Amino acid sequence: MTYHLALFILIIVLAVIAVMTKNIFFSAIILAFISIGVSLILFTFTSPWAAVFELSVCAGLITLLFISVISLVQKEKRTVQEDRAKFTLFPFVLPIIAVLSWFYIAPLFESVSKYPHLNIHNYPLGQIIWKDRVFDLIGQIAIFAAGVFAIKSFFARQLTSKKAQVINHPPSLKLRKGKQIERKIKT
Amino acid sequence: MTNIFSIDWYFISLLFFIGLYCLLISKNMIRQIIGLEIMSKACLLAVILSGAATNNINLAQAIAITMILIEVMVVAISLSIVFKFYKATGSIDLKKLS
Repeated sequence: MTYHLALFILIIVLAVIAVMTKNIFFSAIILAFISIGVSLILFTFTSPWAAVFELSVCAGLITLLFISVISLVQKEKRTVQEDRAKFTLFPFVLPIIAVLSWFYIAPLFESVSKYPHLNIHNYPLGQIIWKDRVFDLIGQIAIFAAGVFAIKSFFARQLTSKKAQVINHPPSLKLRKGKQIERKIKT
Repeated sequence: MTNIFSIDWYFISLLFFIGLYCLLISKNMIRQIIGLEIMSKACLLAVILSGAATNNINLAQAIAITMILIEVMVVAISLSIVFKFYKATGSIDLKKLS
């Protein structure tokens, strides 16, 4: 119980630091630590597969992506002119939201425990993924393919100058245009 | 056990709000994606918590794995958009988008 609560408080504190810090490189690293905290919480909920995915993908791959993109951006241009007053106001806004969510949001979600219990917790995860929710796998493959094609279209290979010239000004069209101009001159 | 879940919901809602606040006030595009990540972490925890509350933890795990994959793709595509934008304008300021 104490370990569980301590993890949640740690995540909240880390998230506040990630939002408030000026250095985006630092906030990307803090985000990795938040992912580690989330995966530890998932372990406490006896969901090890989701925790392992979270740890390897979110704490590993996403941090790598963030750090590589931030490193590609020049150091002077990483900071953007922002209204820092809004950021300094944040620690004062957070307690207000905390009090409001204590009274309104937490009781709202309490109704979740009244939802029907499917009692399929005895099924192993493999059976759920490969038999009950096969359509999810198709969706995952589709999303993965869409992501790969989107990134490929963003960073399409540039054509060499000769090929680009041929595509932009095909020789046959040039001739036709030339003939048309000649005809116009004659007329 | 009910008390633990209510405190968990409280912390999850706070985490979601922190991400939302970052998304609303920041003009830095990379920081906005970080805010989105924090929000998605709150959603992931909410899915797992609701699975634990209704004794369907393995079903929640299966959905959480799908959520993580979607999260990765969203971050990868949005970061590539940010980098392309930086290449075109030389800035990651959101104001220069318009």
